[in-house]
Amino acid sequence: MTNGWIDIKNTDMMLIMGGNPAENHPCGFKWAIEAKIHRNAKTIVVDPRLTRTAANADMYVQIRAGADIAFLGGVIKYAIENNRIAKDYLVNYTNAAFIIKDGFSLPEDGLFSGFDAEKKVYDKKTWNYEEGGDLAGKPVVATPADKPTPPLAPGATPPAPALPPNIAFDLSLQHPRCVYQLLKKQYERYTPEMVERITGIPQDQFLKAADLFTSVRKDGDMKKVATIIYAVGWTQHSFGTQIIRTAAMLQLLLGNVGRAGGGVNALRGHSNIQGATDMAGIFDILPGYLKMPNPTDVDLAAYLKRTTPLVAKPDPWESFNYWSNTSKFAVSLLKAFYGPAATKENDFAFNYLPKIDRNYSWVNIWNDMYEGKVKGLFAFGMNGVMIGPDSNKNIDALKKADWLVVCEIYPDETSEFWRAPGITAEDQKKINTTVYRLPGAGFAEKDGTFVNSARWLQWKNIALPPPGQARLDQEILATIFLKVRELYKKEGGKFPDPVLNATFAYTNPHNPLLAEVAREINGKALADITDPKTNITIKAGQQLPGFAWLKDDGTTISGNWLYCGSWTEAGAMMQRRGTDDPSGLGIYPNWGWSWPANRRVLYNRASCDMEGKPWDPSRRQVWWDDAKQSWVGVDVPDFKVDSAPKDHMGPFIMNPDGIGRLFVPLSGMQDGPFPEFYEPIESPLANLLHPKQSNNPVVKKYKTDMDKYAKTGDTEFNIICTTYRLTEHYHYWTKNNPMNVELVPEPFVEVPAELADRMGIRGGEKVKVTSARAYYIAKAMVTRRIRPMKIDGKETFQIGIPIHWGFRGIVEDEGKTAKTLANQLTPTVIDPNAFTPEFKGFLVKIEKV
Amino acid sequence: MADRKALQAEMISGHSGASPGLGMQRDLEVCKLVDTTTCIGCKACEVACAEWNDMPFTPTTFDNTYQTMPETRWNFWNLIKFNEHQNPDGTIQWLMRKDQCMHCADPGCLAACPADGAIVKYANGIVDFNQENCIGCEFCVSGCPFEIPRFNPMTKKVYKCTLCSDRVGEGLEPACIKACPTGCLKFGSKDDMKYIAEERAKQLRDNFGWQNAGVYDPQSVGGTHVIYVLHDATDPERYSLPKNPTIPWSYTVWKWLFKPVLGTFALFGFLGVIAHYITSGPRVAQPEPPEKEGPDAGINV
Amino acid sequence: MPASTSSSVERFDDKARNAFEHAGKTTVYRGELLRHPVYTRVLHWAVALFFFLALFTGFGIYLPWLFRWFTPFFGGGPLSRVMHPYFGVGFVFCFGLQALNWLKPMIWTAADSRWMRNIKGVVSGEEKMDPPDTGFFNAGQKVQFWEIVGGCVVYLITGVVLWAGARTFGRIPVAVSYVLHDISALIMLGGIFIHIYLSTIGEPGTFQSMIRGAVSEAWAWTFHPAWYKQVTGRDPQQDCEEARRKMNSSTKPPKQS
Repeated sequence: MTNGWIDIKNTDMMLIMGGNPAENHPCGFKWAIEAKIHRNAKTIVVDPRLTRTAANADMYVQIRAGADIAFLGGVIKYAIENNRIAKDYLVNYTNAAFIIKDGFSLPEDGLFSGFDAEKKVYDKKTWNYEEGGDLAGKPVVATPADKPTPPLAPGATPPAPALPPNIAFDLSLQHPRCVYQLLKKQYERYTPEMVERITGIPQDQFLKAADLFTSVRKDGDMKKVATIIYAVGWTQHSFGTQIIRTAAMLQLLLGNVGRAGGGVNALRGHSNIQGATDMAGIFDILPGYLKMPNPTDVDLAAYLKRTTPLVAKPDPWESFNYWSNTSKFAVSLLKAFYGPAATKENDFAFNYLPKIDRNYSWVNIWNDMYEGKVKGLFAFGMNGVMIGPDSNKNIDALKKADWLVVCEIYPDETSEFWRAPGITAEDQKKINTTVYRLPGAGFAEKDGTFVNSARWLQWKNIALPPPGQARLDQEILATIFLKVRELYKKEGGKFPDPVLNATFAYTNPHNPLLAEVAREINGKALADITDPKTNITIKAGQQLPGFAWLKDDGTTISGNWLYCGSWTEAGAMMQRRGTDDPSGLGIYPNWGWSWPANRRVLYNRASCDMEGKPWDPSRRQVWWDDAKQSWVGVDVPDFKVDSAPKDHMGPFIMNPDGIGRLFVPLSGMQDGPFPEFYEPIESPLANLLHPKQSNNPVVKKYKTDMDKYAKTGDTEFNIICTTYRLTEHYHYWTKNNPMNVELVPEPFVEVPAELADRMGIRGGEKVKVTSARAYYIAKAMVTRRIRPMKIDGKETFQIGIPIHWGFRGIVEDEGKTAKTLANQLTPTVIDPNAFTPEFKGFLVKIEKV
Repeated sequence: MADRKALQAEMISGHSGASPGLGMQRDLEVCKLVDTTTCIGCKACEVACAEWNDMPFTPTTFDNTYQTMPETRWNFWNLIKFNEHQNPDGTIQWLMRKDQCMHCADPGCLAACPADGAIVKYANGIVDFNQENCIGCEFCVSGCPFEIPRFNPMTKKVYKCTLCSDRVGEGLEPACIKACPTGCLKFGSKDDMKYIAEERAKQLRDNFGWQNAGVYDPQSVGGTHVIYVLHDATDPERYSLPKNPTIPWSYTVWKWLFKPVLGTFALFGFLGVIAHYITSGPRVAQPEPPEKEGPDAGINV
Repeated sequence: MPASTSSSVERFDDKARNAFEHAGKTTVYRGELLRHPVYTRVLHWAVALFFFLALFTGFGIYLPWLFRWFTPFFGGGPLSRVMHPYFGVGFVFCFGLQALNWLKPMIWTAADSRWMRNIKGVVSGEEKMDPPDTGFFNAGQKVQFWEIVGGCVVYLITGVVLWAGARTFGRIPVAVSYVLHDISALIMLGGIFIHIYLSTIGEPGTFQSMIRGAVSEAWAWTFHPAWYKQVTGRDPQQDCEEARRKMNSSTKPPKQS
């Protein structure tokens, strides 16, 4: 979330799309209701189903699953055409005025410039800013072709294209190749008629929704704020990242980013998924979103050169380019990893870090295991068989593994993959996977932090001790680690150093206290360090108060620079429970601790106009104090505090260009600098914008015998299916809890009443839903909350399946369900940017059992 | 046990007239406000109710709805009712309303209940069942216009929401209120809740286009201590609420007027025959022996 | 003397009656008449038993504050409530058999109307003997019989409604049934006082008719002269006068039939 949960109460307008917060985030949804009650805020819900969120909305629009970019693109077009845009914000805080290289072309045929049809990747060199300063009023001239590159040494890789240091711009936004004009042109094709044909939303409804949402910028008024709220309904598409991009662009156009009650807000589906991401629960990052080294990073310098961006901006402007501190974050991290073994002389043990040579994301791990390349798996706190996609493939992959370690609180489908329905006793004899099941502790049985969607670190205490033989995760992991280290010590091995030298200096190394780990993540000084400006000294061994203190000379450690400040000498900031909120904006500066630097709203400099005065004086977050010559406010300024407004420093300080990116230059995105609407991999029709390039051109499909996909416009599989969670259940384990089972006892399939009538299905009867991969059997919930849609004039049905049930659980064990898994249906196909599978919007057929 | 002040009995089933101590202390009437326009149907109230009251779980079956079960049970007092209402323009309104005892000012259950002390209405408005005195006749079921009391076939007694009289008596809010994540449930004095509800209804009318938004506080049962804000107060039936809840006249008239009168008549039968025996004496088979004559003959007075 | 079929009471179910005659015994001494055979008596006491069980359990439902002390005999209030309808069904069933048994003698006649007009004399005791045309049952008994028949119908209909409850029949039927059931019970309760009174101390000699089954001839000619005449073929008035004479002169028992 750019903002935070509580901040939603400050909004005037909510667009909830690709998420169902009332059902899946009921506690957070209270803030949406606060906004309704206290600000008369309006809610627009765009969803394939009339959800409990939609039931609470002022306007509900039913959309075809996966058509989100078409809708949002249409809203962008509507905002531009009706002048519902924040002109000053756009010119000064985004790259609207920046000029893009000649040679860049928009995807009118479905492809941006630079597509390599064979490798299915883009050469992104034209996706770049032009160089050359202010071009306003100057005649449009073709810029010279790229400077001839010096011949490369044999074997060396060519340097990656970089942003120009002096970006060309046109503040009048008239230049035909300025981002604003390109944006306008890009979404010109997203007419209300086209939106209706693609999304199934009737034009009048679409226009009403677009008008309502953009009404916050009616007549150039900058006081009102709109927010966009989403969740995995957006991310779980083969173009998921681009949907979110479209939303971000819309918010930049309307000047809603950085402002209280605004922003682009991802609702996290687990209590700690934000923390998992921050702490590098993903293969391609290190803690704090540092990039993972790759084989070209022969030493620390090469790595830092590749990963540290250089300032690129229009000359008259300033850019903070905070990632220029990458070396400090990286060295402090290495010191935290390897302690005394990391010295300046050995590049701070940079070479201990693994280098990733390819994609090791979720679906690839399972694909590799299916292909026999991955031999063993640790599954801690996740149920990989249930998660899918294509659970059958995951089950078959586990059959081929040598071993599987599952740490869980219940017997789950992953640890019992060998008894999945369809596996006979005879088959079981052929499965040679050794399964080790470890009794873990439940969330209430451990202390530690949760990092919520609002980026708040909040410490929780143990409510109950773990029962029976259950052990804390850290105890299990530490035991395994110490045993592995012992083996390395004893047997040597290929490269024992990273394991032998890893810091593990906990009071009880067999069961580290999480408070100790949290202190370590915050980081401390290893030598006395003094800030030359304030003359404040941090003594060796003291906890660091913030990431501004981090050094790249090995005198500081920090396990995650973003969390630096969470556990200081003043104590555990993450344990604070201060309920004072002097501003009334719900900032609660003394409650827990929010990264970065206890800042509650990111990019909050953008909440002020060019003079540093808040757009809306009644919602003042930060502002420029002329007397103090400093940015001050009720929130922590997300800015260089002494940069005066006249310096025109960009408010988006993490970008080297300092601005909000309507156009993402270079390698930011794999599939285009502007989002383009592509059909889901399994779609009932070809893309109406460019039928020849129906899907995302760089999307990854898999090629094993298990990976089957329905054809576009398939006549057999012609119903769109989406999956989701229910309020009453939490993923795959509350099916073991009698109370949750009482609330929703059985799996079901939501079927539109019209489709049910046609198929002769009545509510409560069992239906079989079949995709190109597998089938799913559950009772039908016949409802009028999902209506048939007209997609390109053709009647199209959507159905929905909650994901919660499998083959272990209360009702499953009682034999009351068919024991099929929702994710047996879903296709193995991933978004090229975030590698998220396309769980939402695939094709099925439905029949009565 | 509940605090005496917070829970001062006002009406007791099977008793006519004032209750002991009534009017000695003044007490605020409590009220639960359910804003159906901000209810998200999350069922936290259902869980909180079942947990606080330590209810045993009972199996449910899928019934083509998100609603946990078709109606409240003796061990499930708080149920969100999900209704799909089709508007004239074809759009669907998905309505969620938390169903539970309404705690009527003029409780039909209490009017119908013959068992003394089985149903108590406290001065703060809570209508509570005291199972110790319940005889399981289920007349309360028919007395209630909201279909709330539920018979437990095991204990042969009737149960319903207590408005957490045990919590309220200790100065706490009811469990459902505490659990509600959106604040669509509120608890306070009747006056305050009524005010908040009317303000919210006005807001819905003025700013959200719900021209018929209003408050459900049916006066036909003297008002209730659970009130609702509805998008359309002119049509409570779409929320499965009775438009005009009433207590059958037979209960009130019968119980407070004819029951004692006719009971007395029946008693007169007993007294009558005794009086007859004393005054007229028995009729005996004839012939009787001749009546005694002389000085010690019976004196006719 | 064993009971014979010579009784003028025409019974509904001879088979049942015969079966019961074998099970029991009715001794009729000299100077007595057979009044109620075993079958009738068994039914009567079955009806009485169920009536009182239903009555006492019903009290616990009707006015617990007054009659709560009845309930422990039945295992407490809720169990009283559970058993009450079963007792009620027993009562209605047994009375139903009795009603069929007595259907014919209970038919209303012109004599009954005359009896009713003369009721004041009977109640006040001025009339020492019932009118000569008073048959096996007098009009008062018939009124009570038909009241119970009507009451049973009310019990049965309202009782089923109350038993199944508002969840089956709806609130209003239950609320109305509740009142009708109570009113029916109260009327019957008033009646039962009179019934018990008249069959015991109010008209001595009656009680044995339901115990032993036989009544004295004097009782018969006093209270049911027409019946006396019917079964003995003699004139009740004459026999009574004769007895009076005998009593006044000496002491000789009345001649036996």
